[in-house]
Amino acid sequence: MSPVQNKSHESLEALLRHEKIWRAGEASLLAGIPTHFPVLDSLLPNHGWPQASLIEILTAQEGIGALRLMLPAIAQLTQTQWAIWVCPPHVPYAPALQAAGVVLERLLIVEPDTSEQMDLNYVLWVFEQALRFVDCGIAMAWIGTAQYDRLRRLQLACEQGQTCGVMFRPESFAIQPSPAVLRLSLTGNADSTSIRILKSQGGVRNRNCQLAL
Amino acid sequence: MFVTVTANSRYDSLSGEGEKAMLNTQLKMTQTQQALYALDTYKPLARGLRKNGCEEGNQLWLHVHLPQFSLDILTCGNSNKEACVLVEGQGTGSKIVQANSHAARLGVRLGMSLSAAKILGNLTVLSRNERAESLTLERLCAWAYQFTPIISATPPDGLLLEIKSSLKLFGGIEGLLTQVRRGLRDLGHKAVIAVAPTPAAATVLARAERQCVILSEQELPKALGPLPLEALRLDPKQLAVLKSIGARLIEDCLRLPRGGLGRRTAPKLIENFSQLLGQSPDPRQRFSLPKLFQSQIEIPWETSNAQSLGIAGGRLLHELTGYLRSCSAVTRRLRWSLNYTAGHSSHFQLELAQPSRDYDHFALLLRERLSRIQLEGKVKGMALYVDDVSPDQVVAERDLFKQRSVGGNEDWPSFLDRLRARLGEQVVKGLQQVADHRPECAWRWSDIPSNPNTSTPTTGSPAKVPARPLWLMRHPIRLHKEKGHLDINGPLRFVSERERIETGWWDGEPVRRDYFVATNPCGERLWIYRELAGGKDWYLHGIFE
Repeated sequence: MSPVQNKSHESLEALLRHEKIWRAGEASLLAGIPTHFPVLDSLLPNHGWPQASLIEILTAQEGIGALRLMLPAIAQLTQTQWAIWVCPPHVPYAPALQAAGVVLERLLIVEPDTSEQMDLNYVLWVFEQALRFVDCGIAMAWIGTAQYDRLRRLQLACEQGQTCGVMFRPESFAIQPSPAVLRLSLTGNADSTSIRILKSQGGVRNRNCQLAL
Repeated sequence: MFVTVTANSRYDSLSGEGEKAMLNTQLKMTQTQQALYALDTYKPLARGLRKNGCEEGNQLWLHVHLPQFSLDILTCGNSNKEACVLVEGQGTGSKIVQANSHAARLGVRLGMSLSAAKILGNLTVLSRNERAESLTLERLCAWAYQFTPIISATPPDGLLLEIKSSLKLFGGIEGLLTQVRRGLRDLGHKAVIAVAPTPAAATVLARAERQCVILSEQELPKALGPLPLEALRLDPKQLAVLKSIGARLIEDCLRLPRGGLGRRTAPKLIENFSQLLGQSPDPRQRFSLPKLFQSQIEIPWETSNAQSLGIAGGRLLHELTGYLRSCSAVTRRLRWSLNYTAGHSSHFQLELAQPSRDYDHFALLLRERLSRIQLEGKVKGMALYVDDVSPDQVVAERDLFKQRSVGGNEDWPSFLDRLRARLGEQVVKGLQQVADHRPECAWRWSDIPSNPNTSTPTTGSPAKVPARPLWLMRHPIRLHKEKGHLDINGPLRFVSERERIETGWWDGEPVRRDYFVATNPCGERLWIYRELAGGKDWYLHGIFE
């Protein structure tokens, strides 16, 4: 290698070490939030849910444990911070949450009286405010069709507020591109739930696992 | 020669001994010092004042004169670029008494006849609303209470503040003047401010539009002398008498022997001159603060635009925060009314998670609220009513030791207020567990704690409880049997023991049910029950999401 080539190679390396440059395959420097499912922890970069990021969970049907997947993280985060639920499809049941160790006093639920109010702009506005709010540890929303740039705003809001944002969406959106840092698809079986990792910034050790949720 | 009457007692009509003694120790000056300063050159004086001592004067009056007061009231809440004039008189005799800067730029001068002014350009002609003026003046007095407890209204367009005791608190006369000026600008008033040792002199100087600060009584004749007699706003008859003897300026009158002048005009006039120079007492009626805040604003350009309502509301909020500062108080409920052109009105209120008097926070909440409000037509007026006023110990603590996360720029109560203002009071809620065996009664919505640090989190119940789903259906969904089987996306299979819940007979909502956890071939886990009474129907009550 000629000295000139060598020098340019070194400067490129120096550039790539710059803190603002992220390369696919490298995990973020923030430690993950433990999922409390050892199998899943072992798959994810940083051994947990990515911090200050948008997470997308896709399911074909209800009742296969999408919320239970997040429950240990919610319980942990509500010890010190707020958990905000944006327009949940059903009533979050207090006895079950309490039994799982969630601090009920730190839950905030946004639920309009009429369903007409729950249009997409409404949900996205509230979700974004929650994500931007620094004392909010985790915010969850149930979102259908949404444009890429609207979702991109949510990811930026997560970074700004250092909040974990979770979107629950129907399986049909799996084929659409998404700015979420982590995308999981859940499928129910007779006695367990299969998790497929569609996208994970920072790489993934294995794309599939089974959990008894 | 003047008959000099020294009146040391004049302050007694206004204040107690203690205050007076305190005043005497503050703000002292040498007699030889130059006392009349233009506003931009008074700084060296103010510094010198604190060093040198002299027992001169124990009062200092600040007069706020509002030259466009009537016009300000009629055009407030509107930052438009229209040329507006205020007229007095009827028909062809109507004359312009006030004009805003846009009208002045067109060439409109005060005293012009309306028909002449109309040639100059497109003018919006308004007439005085005297009731609104007196109400606004009263509110201005309440607002000014934040600077001094001794205030007197000088109708129709000014107010007097005794400021000597407040100088130290506001960082000297310059600091006080800056704050008064800024406050008046926020309220949308153009003001001329003059400071003098006697109330009458301050009034005369301000009305003559001399923005000056006079600290010594010796300098008063020099400052007042060159002003025309009209500045005194005398009775027209007396003014005519004075003019007939050749007096044009105040100094002409001051030169005249008072005894003779009194015999030719009226003893009251002599009294006026003595009061002007601080030679006889000049008691003023002291303004007292109302117990609640109530203010309204007229919007002459009727609007259905939420943004311009926000501007008008901002004025009211400036008044409110001034009032709250005056009485060292905070509030947690602002009641608003919108008056429509059709005659009806609508009401809404802003509730705060924590009492406050922060203008920016109030304004943000108002904007959020207005953005989602459904206007029922064009709005011609807005009113603000606040009766929930409490002392501000709470807010003092919050301001000093505000608990914020690292890098955070909003605290929890403000965030909560903002969500509520935008979404509505009932939409934002908390969750609470209730000790009841009936699943639908084992929880309820609750208020959100405005300060979560004070509430102790309840720990998870250690007792072994049967599995409960994370989702509860808002209303149980009745299930229908297909070919003798329960079916939701496939035949259901029971995976738990039967759990019987039979309770609630005492309060009229008895429950007799058998609960099961069931799954279907898709892997969905559901919480279903069978009524033990009546038709023994099956229902879906929850989802193990």
